[in-house]
Amino acid sequence: MVDTALSNAGPDARPHPRGGLQRPLAAGWAHLRGRAGTGSLVPWLYLAPTLVLLAVFTYWPLIHTAYLSLVEWNLNPGQPARFVGLDNYSRVAGSNLFQAALGNTLVYLAASIPLKVLLPIPIAVFLWSLGSKGHIYRAVLFLPTLISFVVVGVAVMWILNPIFGYAKQYAAMIGIRMPNLMADPDTAIWVIIVVSSWKVLGFNVLLYLAGLASINRDYIEAMRMDGAGDGTIFTRLIWPLLTPTLMFVLISTLIFTMQQVFTPIDLMTQGGPSNSTTNLFYMVYQYSFVTFDVGGGAAGTVMLFLLLMVMALVQLRLIDRRVQYKQ
Amino acid sequence: MSATRLKRGVLGLALAFLATGTALAETEIAFYHYQTGGSYQVFRSILDEFEAANPDITVRDIFAQSEQITAEVQAALAAGRPVDIATVIGKNIVFFLNNTGAVDMVEASEGDTAWLDGYLPNFLDLGRVGDAVYAIPHAYGTPMLYYNKDIFTQAGLDPEAPPRTWAEFLAAGKTIAETTGLAGGAHLHAAMGDYGTMVMVNNAGATYLNAQGTKAEFDTPEGIAALQNWQDMATSGMMPIAGDSDWSAAFNAGQMGMYITSSAGLRGSVAAAEGKFELGVTNYPLFEDQPRRVSNSGAALMLYAPEGERREASMALLRFISQKEVANRWSRESGYMPLIQDPLSDPAMAAYVAEFPYVRPVIEQMADTIPTNVWPAKGTLEAQTEIRAMLDELWAGRRTAAEIVPETVARVNAALAVNN
Repeated sequence: MVDTALSNAGPDARPHPRGGLQRPLAAGWAHLRGRAGTGSLVPWLYLAPTLVLLAVFTYWPLIHTAYLSLVEWNLNPGQPARFVGLDNYSRVAGSNLFQAALGNTLVYLAASIPLKVLLPIPIAVFLWSLGSKGHIYRAVLFLPTLISFVVVGVAVMWILNPIFGYAKQYAAMIGIRMPNLMADPDTAIWVIIVVSSWKVLGFNVLLYLAGLASINRDYIEAMRMDGAGDGTIFTRLIWPLLTPTLMFVLISTLIFTMQQVFTPIDLMTQGGPSNSTTNLFYMVYQYSFVTFDVGGGAAGTVMLFLLLMVMALVQLRLIDRRVQYKQ
Repeated sequence: MSATRLKRGVLGLALAFLATGTALAETEIAFYHYQTGGSYQVFRSILDEFEAANPDITVRDIFAQSEQITAEVQAALAAGRPVDIATVIGKNIVFFLNNTGAVDMVEASEGDTAWLDGYLPNFLDLGRVGDAVYAIPHAYGTPMLYYNKDIFTQAGLDPEAPPRTWAEFLAAGKTIAETTGLAGGAHLHAAMGDYGTMVMVNNAGATYLNAQGTKAEFDTPEGIAALQNWQDMATSGMMPIAGDSDWSAAFNAGQMGMYITSSAGLRGSVAAAEGKFELGVTNYPLFEDQPRRVSNSGAALMLYAPEGERREASMALLRFISQKEVANRWSRESGYMPLIQDPLSDPAMAAYVAEFPYVRPVIEQMADTIPTNVWPAKGTLEAQTEIRAMLDELWAGRRTAAEIVPETVARVNAALAVNN
C-alpha cells in the first residue's frame, strides 16, 4: 500500500528516518527563511524558548534589581519609588557589615581553592589508580554530598555544643579543655569552611574521576616504558589533561561556595560572632528579607554580581589559556 | 425537543446558576499565620468554630515559618495577592504601618469598638498610633526565668526561693557553676541580639530606642549597668558563650541551672523536664530597685482586607477571637500569654491555672509588659549588626561595658541617621 502523503509529494520526496517527509519540511523552513528575507529566522526560532526564559527569569530580574538599587522603595505598589542615585551603594558599602562580609567572602573563596579544588585531585588520582577496587571509597566520599546541609549543620552544632557537646565530652576524657569554636570570631569561620569543604569534597572528587576516565591509560604505560616515574606522569600527563575539569571545578566551586555556605551561616552563626562568618550572600538576604531594606539589598546584589563577573572573567582570561583540551 | 422540555432545561440551568451564585456569595478571607503543631490545631479549631457560626464566611489559613512570615506577607501585598489578616512580628509593625496599606481597626469598627476594650491597654500600645489601632495582640510571649529545682538543691540553693533580682541571679549562677560544674544560667538574645538587649536595658530603667526607633539611647548608667551584668554572667563562668538553641537544649537536657526565655516555650520546657528534673518558673528578675518592664515578644494581627464583604468578614473574625473565652482558650492550648484583661475571671482559665500553676507568673507579668521596640525602615540591619557585635565583645570580656556600650550606641545612631 502506498502512503498517500508520499505519493503526493513528488519524485524527490523520500521518507525521513523518523517518519514523515523530509522534503516538504525542508521546503517549509525554506519558505520561512524566504519570508524573513534574511535567512536568519530559523536559528532564532530554535533559540526562542531559551531566550524567552533567560529574558524573563534572568535578565529582567537583573535589570530590575539594578533599578531597585537606585531608588528608595518598599515594594508597596501604592507608593512611588524615589530616585536616590548611588545613596544605597554608599550606605551599604560604608557599613561595617559590608566590609566584614566582603572580607569574609574573600576568605571563603581563598580557603575553598586548596580545600575544595586542589585537595580532591590527589584523592581522585588515588581512587582512579585503584580501578574498580576504589568504588566503595567513592561511595563513602560522595555520601556527605547527599546529606542535607541543614542536617549537617544541626549535627555539627550538637557536636560542638559548648555545654554538653560530644567534642567537649571527649576532650574532657583525655584531659583537654575544648575551646568554644563557634563563639570565637577567629575560629567560627573555619568551622563553616571545614564543614562546607567536607560536604563538597566527594562531589569534586567525582568530577575529577570523570576527567581522569577520559585519559587513555596506554599513554601511562608508554611513559612508564620510557622510564617515567609517578611524579613525571602526573605533572606531564595527568595534570595537563585534567586541566579542563580543573577549570570547571574551579569556576563552579568558587561561585557556588558563596551560595553554599549560606545555609550553615544561617543555621549555625547568623553571621556572628562579631560578623566573623557572614558573607555577601548572607548580607544581601539580611537586607532584603530580615529588615526589608529593598534598596540596600538590591545595591548589595549588584555589587555581588559585579564581583562574581570579575571573578569569572579573570578565571577565563588567565586560567583558560593554560587549559589543555586535546589529548 | 419540545418547547416544554426546552423551558424546563432553561429553568434547570437558571436554578443551577442560582445555586452557583449562592456558593460564590460566600466570602473567603486569607489569614497569614505561622502556627504549627498543637498551636495550629487550636488555631484552626477556632477558625472552624468561627466558620460554623458564620456559614457564609470561609477562612483560608496560609502558613509561613515564623522567620519568613513577614517576608511572605510583604511579598503577598506587593504582588497584590489577597491578604485580609496578617500575623506580623512585633518589631516589624512600624515598618508595616509606614509601608503597607494596613487598616485602622478603630475606623473599621464603624463606631463599635467595644471588642477592643477587652485587651490589656499596654498590649494594644504596640499597634496604636494616636487614636488609631493597627495591630491587636495575638501570639505574645514574655520572658520568664525557668530554673531546674534539682540543680538548685544539688548546689545547696533553696529550690523554692528562685532569684528575684539580677544580683541574686548572678550569685545563684556562680554557685551552680562552682558547686556542680554545670552551666549556671543564660538569657536568650534572639535574632541579632536585639530582643535580649532590649529587654535587659529596658528592665534596668534605660531606654533602648526612642519612640520612632531612630535613635539608640541605652548608653546611660542604667543601660551600661544592665549590659555589664550580662558581661559578668559570661566572664564569671556561669554562662557558657553560645546561642539560644544551645542554651535551650542544655536547659531542657538538665545541664543548665537557669534560663531566661519566652513564655511561649513554657509547654515545651514542661514536656522536656518531665521525668528528668523538677521545673520551676518565676518572674523576670528585677534590676536593683527598678520596676519590672519587660518587652513582649511574638506577633500581632494586622488588618488588610479591602472595604466590602472581605473587610466585614475579617472584622467579624477579629471580634470573634477577641472574646474572652476564645482568647483564653487560644492562650491555654497554644501556650501564648493571655491577652485579655483579668483572665482569671474566666472559670475555665482559673481551673487551668490551678491545674497548670507554671502559667501563674506569666499572668502576673502581663501588667509589667511594655511594647517591644520597633526599628525604622533604613539602617536597621547595620544597627542590629552593631548590637550583635557588642554582645560578642562584651562576652569576650576584654573591655568593660562602660567602654563598649557608648561606642556601640554611637555606631548604631550613625547607622540610623539615614532616617532623620
